[in-house]
Amino acid sequence: MNAFAAYHPTVLLTYFLSVLVVSMFALHPVLQAAALLGGLVFCALLQSRRRTAADLAFYLPLFLLIAVTNPLFSHNGVTPLFFLNGNPVTLEALLYGVQIALMLVGVLFWCKCYSKVMTTDKFLYLFGRVIPKLALVLSMALRFLPLFLRRAREVRRAQKTLGLLAAKSRVDRIRGEMRVFLAVISWSLEHAMALSSAMKARGYGLKGRTQFSLFRFTPGDGVLLGVSLALFGLTLAGMATGATRFAYYPRLTAPPASPLGLLALCAFAVLCALPAILEGKEWLTWSFCKSKI
Amino acid sequence: MELLQIENLTFRYPGAEADALRGITLTVRQGEFLVLCGESGCGKTTLLRLLKRELAPAGKRGGEIRYRGRSLEALDARTSAAQIGFVLQNPDEQIVTDKVWHELAFGLENLGLPTGVIRRRVGEMASYFGIQDWFRRETDALSGGQKQLLNLASVLVMQPKLLLLDEPTAQLDPIAASEFLQTLYKLNRELGLTILLVEHRLEEAFPLADRAVLLEAGRVLDCDAPRRLGRALQTREHTHPMCCALPSAMRIAHALGAVEQSPLTVREGRDFLEARFAASAQAQPQTQPEIPPEPDDAAPAIELKNVWFRYEKELPDVLRGVTMAVRRGEFYCILGANGTGKTTALQVVAGLRRPYRGAVRIDGKPLKAYGGGALYRGKLALLPQNPQTLFLQDTVRADLDELLALRGVEKEAREAQVKAVAARVGVEPLLDRHPFDLSGGELQKCALAKLLLSAPEILLLDEPTKGLDAFAKQKLTALLRGLCDDGVTLLAVTHDVEFAAENADRCGLFFDGELLSDDRPQAFFAQNHFYTTAANRMARGLWPDAVTCAQVVARCREAKP
Repeated sequence: MNAFAAYHPTVLLTYFLSVLVVSMFALHPVLQAAALLGGLVFCALLQSRRRTAADLAFYLPLFLLIAVTNPLFSHNGVTPLFFLNGNPVTLEALLYGVQIALMLVGVLFWCKCYSKVMTTDKFLYLFGRVIPKLALVLSMALRFLPLFLRRAREVRRAQKTLGLLAAKSRVDRIRGEMRVFLAVISWSLEHAMALSSAMKARGYGLKGRTQFSLFRFTPGDGVLLGVSLALFGLTLAGMATGATRFAYYPRLTAPPASPLGLLALCAFAVLCALPAILEGKEWLTWSFCKSKI
Repeated sequence: MELLQIENLTFRYPGAEADALRGITLTVRQGEFLVLCGESGCGKTTLLRLLKRELAPAGKRGGEIRYRGRSLEALDARTSAAQIGFVLQNPDEQIVTDKVWHELAFGLENLGLPTGVIRRRVGEMASYFGIQDWFRRETDALSGGQKQLLNLASVLVMQPKLLLLDEPTAQLDPIAASEFLQTLYKLNRELGLTILLVEHRLEEAFPLADRAVLLEAGRVLDCDAPRRLGRALQTREHTHPMCCALPSAMRIAHALGAVEQSPLTVREGRDFLEARFAASAQAQPQTQPEIPPEPDDAAPAIELKNVWFRYEKELPDVLRGVTMAVRRGEFYCILGANGTGKTTALQVVAGLRRPYRGAVRIDGKPLKAYGGGALYRGKLALLPQNPQTLFLQDTVRADLDELLALRGVEKEAREAQVKAVAARVGVEPLLDRHPFDLSGGELQKCALAKLLLSAPEILLLDEPTKGLDAFAKQKLTALLRGLCDDGVTLLAVTHDVEFAAENADRCGLFFDGELLSDDRPQAFFAQNHFYTTAANRMARGLWPDAVTCAQVVARCREAKP
């Protein structure tokens, strides 16, 4: 579906973390705008056009609301635009509101992308590297849950034909549901016993259990990991040295343009655009292949 | 080479009064395909579990089991786990993880193999079994047959030398079961895998096996090639309960006194019949079967008119204009493959699902007229596919008693009623057992007892013969017949062609959400070429309307070679 989502979970997690860290802590409007734009494009690539349009229809008003709220309550800043109820509405507060809105909506979009790309199995894989036992337990829970629900539905249906849940009074109904629930719980215990012996039969409990996964760390993963770490490092360097500092109050102030600052801004913009770039490359390869066929 | 030697094995469960196994001696050579059969409770599962150390039941064991010359206890844990594979009856009870690929890798992870090796072995196994199409699916989304195939594959991926299977096809529909057994056969022939299979579908398992072992009350009664075993069984004692489980071809030949021939497969059976009866069958006058006069249908017990149903708005229709009528006191069987909507149709009749178009009438009255559970009080009862779901209490007795209490029956009357219904179904000794501890046949009977408490006029049965062996099936059949004679209307959904042919008054074929044809079983199966009984497939060249073994035998006797 997506060229970017096919990368190794470690790479993906590193990537998402670096983007999120920068966009949550940076104040520079260019960084924020890059994050929002990148997140928006990435999200659009992951889902249908209709879904994206619906998202825009939801997030645009949210954006405006946040942007407008700040100057109404915060009266810092030296450039009053007009007075409302005797309070000044300042340009700086308005711009700061826009920056907060940029950050919030940007982070929301990136979180959306994260949940679409980092599916449960990827999460479990990363998690399992740290705590192997827990990862297996989670996988078993995911297996058991639908089984449990199906069983509950079956019991409910069977009991309905015996007239258990047909009573009109609410107390009786709740009691009936409770009994169904307890019956399914006792079935679960029975099931767990059988399952544990089946697991033992397949060697569970032997020493030196390994953890298998379908994910493989390829050279391509290494390249992407290196590139994103380098871009992230550059951005961090810019932020740490103050080259990308930006203050809104009392008046907009930014340090004079420096090579490091510019480099940091560009690096982060590229970082945010990486998914789109990779997707574009994939698309070009395909069109090229198709034209050859 | 001997792979497995069992010497004078005895076993007793803790607290039991008698031995479950009494002096079993058996040798399994490498590459053999062995079928273990016997009545329910004869100790076949106990024996099989004792051969797998990790699954061995607790109890007192005597005698010796040797795997490749070494005592089973002396094997190291790794060898024991990997080299002896075990597949259980219920496919859902052995799937551990949520993804198919993870399930395949689970055993190898336990053995501590490195990722590269696991990757290769899992890939190889998935290709061999044709799993690649559902390799990344959730295990819960698989069909029963796929699940059991996955269980088999995830045991084989550990490269066992000996494969033990405990009724692996009991929960599968006939097509999936047949595929599964064929896969076992292929594994045995192509890879030389040694297989020990406990099975009650002897019709299909017998032709595949090298040897069959017949257990009786914890002893090996006989152990021989299936053909010879069947023959010996017939000559020694004609009434051995195992006889009714033999393949149809064998049963027909034996009933005709041709014990020496013992055909095993449909092909052999047909050759046997045609060699003997081809000439005389043609000379036989074509007897028109007498058709019982159609009773006039004032109001059928169950009537469906142009019923349409789907589970959700976006999903496709499951029932597409089903129209059918079941007469009062009739035994009606709906046959058809998986996923054609049979069970859904039954649930619609039971009022569990509401069709979005069409009418359902019970006894001439629309379903809606039975409000507030009135339908389930003395009118209609449903035996679900998994009868365990009917029970909520710790003992069968408490469960039956509770149902009556819910109906507001007095305490003394309750006891008497439970006793009466238990006697009628023949489950008195089971009343104080836990519903989870009952065997398939026992559970089915107890479930019937519970349903009969409300004295229903209409009984709906969803796969009543699923997981039952031949004896349990016979007992259930007798019970259902009795109910039918008492005037209860029976509507069953089943895969079991033999069961329908022997018992139904009328059969209908369900396909693609519709009831295609319905007829008396003889006429119904005579029209079918593939979807018919083994006996009919053998005899259809001579007598197309002979459907059951008994009918074929009767025709043969009339024809006289």
